[in-house]
Amino acid sequence: MALCGLKFPIDENVIIGLDLADDAGVYKISDDLALIQTVDFLTPIVDDPYWFGQIAAANALSDVYAMGGTPKTAMNLVAFPAREMDLIILRQIIQGGIDKLKEAGVVLIGGHSIEDREIKYGLSVTGVIHPARLLVKKNLRPGDRLVLTKPLGTGIINTAIKAAMASTELTDKVTRLMAELNREAAGITADFDISACTDVTGFGLLGHLAEMVCGSGTGVRIESGQVPVIAEALEFAAVGLIPAGAYKNKEFREQMIAFAETVPRALQDVLFDPQTSGGLLISVNKIHAAALVAALKEAGIDDAAQIGEIIDTPGEKIWVT
Amino acid sequence: MQEIDARGLACPAPVLKTKTILQEDNPTSVSVVVDNAASQQNVQRFLESQGFQIVLEQDGADYVIIGTSDSAHSAQLQPVPTLSTGAKRIMVLCSTDRIGFGDDALGLKLMVNFLRTLREMHDELWRLVFVNNGVKLTIDGSEVLEDLKNYEKEGHRILVCGTCLDHFSLLERKQVGETTNMLDIVTAMQVADKVITI
Repeated sequence: MALCGLKFPIDENVIIGLDLADDAGVYKISDDLALIQTVDFLTPIVDDPYWFGQIAAANALSDVYAMGGTPKTAMNLVAFPAREMDLIILRQIIQGGIDKLKEAGVVLIGGHSIEDREIKYGLSVTGVIHPARLLVKKNLRPGDRLVLTKPLGTGIINTAIKAAMASTELTDKVTRLMAELNREAAGITADFDISACTDVTGFGLLGHLAEMVCGSGTGVRIESGQVPVIAEALEFAAVGLIPAGAYKNKEFREQMIAFAETVPRALQDVLFDPQTSGGLLISVNKIHAAALVAALKEAGIDDAAQIGEIIDTPGEKIWVT
Repeated sequence: MQEIDARGLACPAPVLKTKTILQEDNPTSVSVVVDNAASQQNVQRFLESQGFQIVLEQDGADYVIIGTSDSAHSAQLQPVPTLSTGAKRIMVLCSTDRIGFGDDALGLKLMVNFLRTLREMHDELWRLVFVNNGVKLTIDGSEVLEDLKNYEKEGHRILVCGTCLDHFSLLERKQVGETTNMLDIVTAMQVADKVITI
């Protein structure tokens, strides 16, 4: 809303800018090379500083993968209460970020830090891609199947962790899930006939899907029973451990979405749950959908699943059955 | 009617405050005041999950959730809606390491046989919970250790009471399952379609 009415400078080499609001900005350098740029930072979501660093880095890198690109360089963004907190904590956060970058084959070439009352950490990431291989959000093709690569529920489970109601095992499981790179999923996806792709983050599954649907001229049917969900998230949602963001996501997109009566409310809540470093949401030629899911599972992305289809219906609506 | 002022609190604090008061005072009716829509919905979900009938009211900028229950809330627990996978959720609570009274050797033999035969529940075996003497089945030397490990590998969740392990000084010797607490156990009971206690 704050950006409404502001004019942004562009030139003919901007392939994706703010007007298209995709996962990252894309700028053409030459006919066979474009830059992908993105920035993202978080307040701590887990207590362990090293894991927080890893999650923040995986989260920042994800937007490049969601565009089909290869991340190359990164810069740190740090806000830290250096007067009140031990610098060793900051060191551990940054070490987590560096280790995740290493895993992704990305180099850290700079950064900036400020003194702040609350810790914030994130990265600006630059990647490259051939302009013809870009995977954009708004290109859904009727008949395609939708594939999701990570289970939903991290926002709800993080709320349960804050409430001290999650077991250590569950906390560990979700931490690892959030720190998991989307690199392998993106690499596998590139081999298939894909029409659109995004990553599921703060707007939740249905919020990001709504972004894909808006302006596409198509509709989507989600088979809610097929959507991968962390089982405990349903239990916590049913007792009201839901982050405020989930309700905002629902309120914002409600008019686009129709739920069948058989979809339990807790599952509806999970479909709006804001995700940190969530999975890729891929629109794939239906002939290839089963093969894509099989290839993802073979690579150890066990939760990958077909969750719905793109339908040729006017009205740009999402039907959840 | 018990009144709870949860204004000025962010999620999940209003739910936790309500939960604490329900646990301590066991009221049959509560009125919770919050100052944002998300907290209103969360408190509503929580009270509904505990068997309360809900009336929502707006008081200026505040939201009031009034919950009433026919009897004490704990008697009115309702199951959480689940994915329609068709499979029931059966929770088996083992509070002992042998079945029945009389001959202990026979009791142990029956328990071993029972745990092995649970396999016949297939996917419906949802949680296997060990409390009191039951935790001794999860430590090194247990006759069913391999069976329990296999259950866990197949995705059945095994929960072992931490207080009980601690009481018997067996914390270090547990070989299978997640250490759990009473809140997890009670929540699991609430979510389960059926609880079988041995």
